[in-house]
Amino acid sequence: MIDRFLYLVSEGIRSLWRTKTTALATISAIGIAASFVVFSAVVGENISGIIQIARGQYEFQVFFSKDVDNIRAAELVDQIGAIEGIMSASLITKEEAADIFQREFGENIFDLLEENPLPPGSVLKLRQPKDGRIDVNPIIKQIELVEGVDEVRYQERLISLIERYYEGFFAAVTALAAAILFGTVILISNTIRLSIYARRDLIRILKLVGATDRFVRFPFMIEGILEGFFGSLVAAAVSYGFVEGSNYFLSLFTQYRLVWQFQIVALLVGVIVFFSFVGSMRAVRKFL
Amino acid sequence: MISFKNVSCTFEGGAGIENATFDIEPGEFVCIIGPTGAGKTTFLKLIYMDIFPEEGTVGVDKYRSDKIKKRSIPMLRRRVGMVFQDFELLKDRSVFDNIAIPLHVQGVGMKMVKDEVENVLERLGISDRRDHLPSQLSGGEQQIVSLARALVKDPLVILADEPTGNLDPAASLKVIELLEEINRDGTAVLMATHNFSLVKDRGYRFMQIVDGEVQT
Repeated sequence: MIDRFLYLVSEGIRSLWRTKTTALATISAIGIAASFVVFSAVVGENISGIIQIARGQYEFQVFFSKDVDNIRAAELVDQIGAIEGIMSASLITKEEAADIFQREFGENIFDLLEENPLPPGSVLKLRQPKDGRIDVNPIIKQIELVEGVDEVRYQERLISLIERYYEGFFAAVTALAAAILFGTVILISNTIRLSIYARRDLIRILKLVGATDRFVRFPFMIEGILEGFFGSLVAAAVSYGFVEGSNYFLSLFTQYRLVWQFQIVALLVGVIVFFSFVGSMRAVRKFL
Repeated sequence: MISFKNVSCTFEGGAGIENATFDIEPGEFVCIIGPTGAGKTTFLKLIYMDIFPEEGTVGVDKYRSDKIKKRSIPMLRRRVGMVFQDFELLKDRSVFDNIAIPLHVQGVGMKMVKDEVENVLERLGISDRRDHLPSQLSGGEQQIVSLARALVKDPLVILADEPTGNLDPAASLKVIELLEEINRDGTAVLMATHNFSLVKDRGYRFMQIVDGEVQT
């Protein structure tokens, strides 16, 4: 039993060498097809990363009424910080507001007006949901209902633009990746079928000498798994090279770096290997 | 060992076997003769159950065509050695590896595979060709390798389908003599040929297929 198992495993590996031209063509075809899948995953992941960075910059400035002093302002900040969807709320006292004024305009407000008319306020950061869009309108409405709040300022157009297209973008990327994956599966299946078709004589001879279907299938299964593995390694290497190359050029003018996530690529390698295995099994069955 | 009971089978081209009934006993040497297209190959296919009769029953050892399950067909074929006109060798494997295949199929251990293959190589006089590829051998040598592959699994019967069809007269005679030698050691041989002159005076049992009728 062990002898037969070892023989079949070695046959699977040796047949890659025996049919090296066909195997190379198959691995290349799988590699090219899988590259599209891995590439779309890497691009999707990085665009998602950029969007998340942009979402992390969402900032709300709340201005309190002029009659609100620093003590009352601190209470209001606590009240606002408790609103659902707000991650942090920090107090800007009247004095800090004057400092900000001086930093931005270069003038001391006391020198200009002999008093500080600037109200205290707060800077808010939003909690990012793991998925789905952020709806800022209910949060804004709740803040505006707090007594003592005079005005809420935020990058309304930018936030609504990002949030409007956020879900649509991920739906499109997922649909595109699924379509590419489907095409890849068909391509892998057909490529392996062609390589097995070229060896239908082997299958026939094995059947004539008394091989069971399982015995015939096993080396092709090993071969399919190896071809899928090597093909997806090619795809992983291509995508890694793309990301590293892009990062080199990005480093010339920005600090942003593309991400190559090992877990996602490993998952895709697993998916490609699985479909190569299934493709082999389906192709061999036609000749049994 | 092999029995045909009222077997009828139509095969490609419209010819066929009609109502054939006969037995072949262990250790017999039977020659099936008939012109090309008479159905000799189909006759052999019925025995290794590549095709099944439309009527009647073919029995080989303990297997019967009307009862055999698909998963048992490989077991039947392990008891039957086959030799073909075009050798049916794997071109990318050595002589040794070609002969070893039936033993690997049966799950024989590596050490025993080596011993058995060495034995049969020696018995058929092709030990010096063990590492050659089929393309490096003459037609006669390739047919002897094919014969060795059939013989290595110690079959009940060897089915030889036009084994000399692609060989020159000297190589043909060599193959016939080897088949006779194998037969003398107790293995039944069932050989299909259209070359009657090659086999006519060798004392075999003859079966002739004429217009679908198997004359024994």
